Amino acid sequence: MSLTSRPQIKDSHEGIRLERTFPRFTIGQRWEHAILLLSITILLLTGLVQKYRTSVWSQNILSTPERLDMIQNIHHVAAILLTAEAVYHIGRALYLLSRRKLPSKIFITWQDVRDGFQMIKYLTFLSRKKPEFGKYNFEQKVTYWFIFFSIGIMILSGFIIWFPILYTKFLPGAIVPAAKLAHSTEAVVVGIFIVVWHLYHVLIERLNLSIFTGRLSESEMITTHTIEYESLINQESPVASSSTGGAQ
Amino acid sequence: MIDGMNRRIHYLVFLLMIAGLLIIGLAISPTSSNAAPLFQQPAPTDVVPENQAGSTEDPLTISDEACLECHGKPGLEMTLDNGETWDLYVNPEDHTSSVHGESGYACVQCHRSVSSYPHAPFSAADSRDATFQLNTACQYCHTHQAELNQDGVHAKALEDGKREAAVCVDCHSAHSVQRIFDPQTGEILPEARLWIPQTCAKCHSAIYEKYHDSVHGAALTDEGNPDVPTCIDCHGVHNIADPTTAEFRLKSPDICAKCHTDPEIMNKYGISTEVLDTYVADFHGTTQVLFEQETPEQQFNKPVCYDCHGVHDIARTDDPQKGLLVRENLLVRCQVCHPDATVNFPDAWLSHYIPSPEKYPIVYYVDLFYKFLIPTVIGGMGLLVVLDFSKKLRDRLETQKRIPFLMAKPAGDETAESDPESTGKNKTGKGVDHSPTEADEEIAVDANLTDESDD
Repeated sequence: MSLTSRPQIKDSHEGIRLERTFPRFTIGQRWEHAILLLSITILLLTGLVQKYRTSVWSQNILSTPERLDMIQNIHHVAAILLTAEAVYHIGRALYLLSRRKLPSKIFITWQDVRDGFQMIKYLTFLSRKKPEFGKYNFEQKVTYWFIFFSIGIMILSGFIIWFPILYTKFLPGAIVPAAKLAHSTEAVVVGIFIVVWHLYHVLIERLNLSIFTGRLSESEMITTHTIEYESLINQESPVASSSTGGAQ
Repeated sequence: MIDGMNRRIHYLVFLLMIAGLLIIGLAISPTSSNAAPLFQQPAPTDVVPENQAGSTEDPLTISDEACLECHGKPGLEMTLDNGETWDLYVNPEDHTSSVHGESGYACVQCHRSVSSYPHAPFSAADSRDATFQLNTACQYCHTHQAELNQDGVHAKALEDGKREAAVCVDCHSAHSVQRIFDPQTGEILPEARLWIPQTCAKCHSAIYEKYHDSVHGAALTDEGNPDVPTCIDCHGVHNIADPTTAEFRLKSPDICAKCHTDPEIMNKYGISTEVLDTYVADFHGTTQVLFEQETPEQQFNKPVCYDCHGVHDIARTDDPQKGLLVRENLLVRCQVCHPDATVNFPDAWLSHYIPSPEKYPIVYYVDLFYKFLIPTVIGGMGLLVVLDFSKKLRDRLETQKRIPFLMAKPAGDETAESDPESTGKNKTGKGVDHSPTEADEEIAVDANLTDESDD
């Protein structure tokens, strides 16, 4: 685990506080998130217009059959992008797994369940102890896995309703209306999840842009990823740990 | 003043409007009264012939007997300009047993050009021309129907030069016009319903053959069933719409739905009234609704009711030969638009069923799954987020209370985030020591003591 420290302001003047930052996401992960952000936004916008076609706002957009076709085409292009991203993600995970290098910190453990309950107790005044977290807390793991499985459902059902004739060659016909229902409903669930859960935690609870910058500041590490921070500090040499906050 | 004036003017205008309405009403009433309840007008005397002015004789003095002196003799005929023979014989029976004869209408009330004897000579280019000339008589009384007919597909065809297109007498006949409506109820008489397809069949015989064998036609001809549609229930009567237009195709589901969503009719036969809703809920119907609302003039390329069920040859769904419940029959329909469809494909269409554990269980259980998942996800997430947010809010308020003490400190560095951070800072130095509980407790007990936790 390489720990690099980077000054946020290069020319240090007097009175300027330098804060050490810690790497959180690789450039690949940040690109993956950017693709997810782009494709899911397009998919939700173009999909919800089709789902709520009986409402006036939707019909203003879908005003002609040509418009509907165009929106469906955009939806399909974004769907291919998302599928490519999902294939890459799983493919990379399998590759890392085969080389026994798959990072395990994202997997949900019993500790996350306990953390979740502890958090509820803490928030409802039943306990004064706030749970401490490693690299990913239970909220972030829930976000990852919820979106992971949602994308799985969306891709599977999406391709079934995109190519119904192909899939009914080897699957029962009822799979098509079932996929249509799942696709349409899951989309709303994902939409609500992203807005209520994900956006709240990364924008409102605290502004956390580490998925774009790739780094977390030391104070953020201490506050929100205490266990991870401690293990990183303990791995470092005593010299390095004493130079907390320094450049270099 | 002005207000009073205005009010007076308003009052005057109002009175004028009422007077105007009364006048218009009076003016309209003779025509409309013989338009709505058909064939009820018994008073023959109030119809004034048009060309009365030139004649000395009152045409109404010309009795039917006078006409029948000549026209009651079989064999009376004339030669038209093109050499065709035009039969001038009128069987008195035809007229007396017709709805007009029953009501006491005289020959000259329709044949108004006849005002004296001998009457002015009649001439026509050919027999069709003779019909057109005589056909104009109907609109003297049946103005409304004549106007509706002008909007119909037959009048349009005539305009386009199709001389065989039907005019009044082609359907209603000239002298033996039959009563269609029950004068008491205003409903179409049961026997009249039977005539309707036969009347249309005079020209549209191929379609009649299909209709006759269809579920609707068979019920009408075999049982005289009053619930099934005749031609006019779908196509209209006088202002018959062109069924080949994009608009007709797009609106056609509404025609079927008129009866098929009516529980009063459908319950008798155990037919679902949700056929329209289930159609609209699925792919094809969804697009139909969209087209109807946005671009009704465009040709709708998704199936409507009749693309699967047939246009005139509509069969029972459980018909062993043609019924759509037989999957092979449905597949044939699917393949019209989806040529590569295979045996499983027809099940992709819910066949107007509402998913249940028996019908389309997989769809039913997906629906059920989300009925639980959505409230769980929204409820669980919402609860945690609200709890978290209220905690943040409370912490901030508490921090604001503490600000004076923080300011007093010599090296007041942090921007006073919240309690966990201060405890975190503790650990930066000490490493493993766990003290959030204590720190929180101190803050909670007394805000004045918080600065101790920074040691």
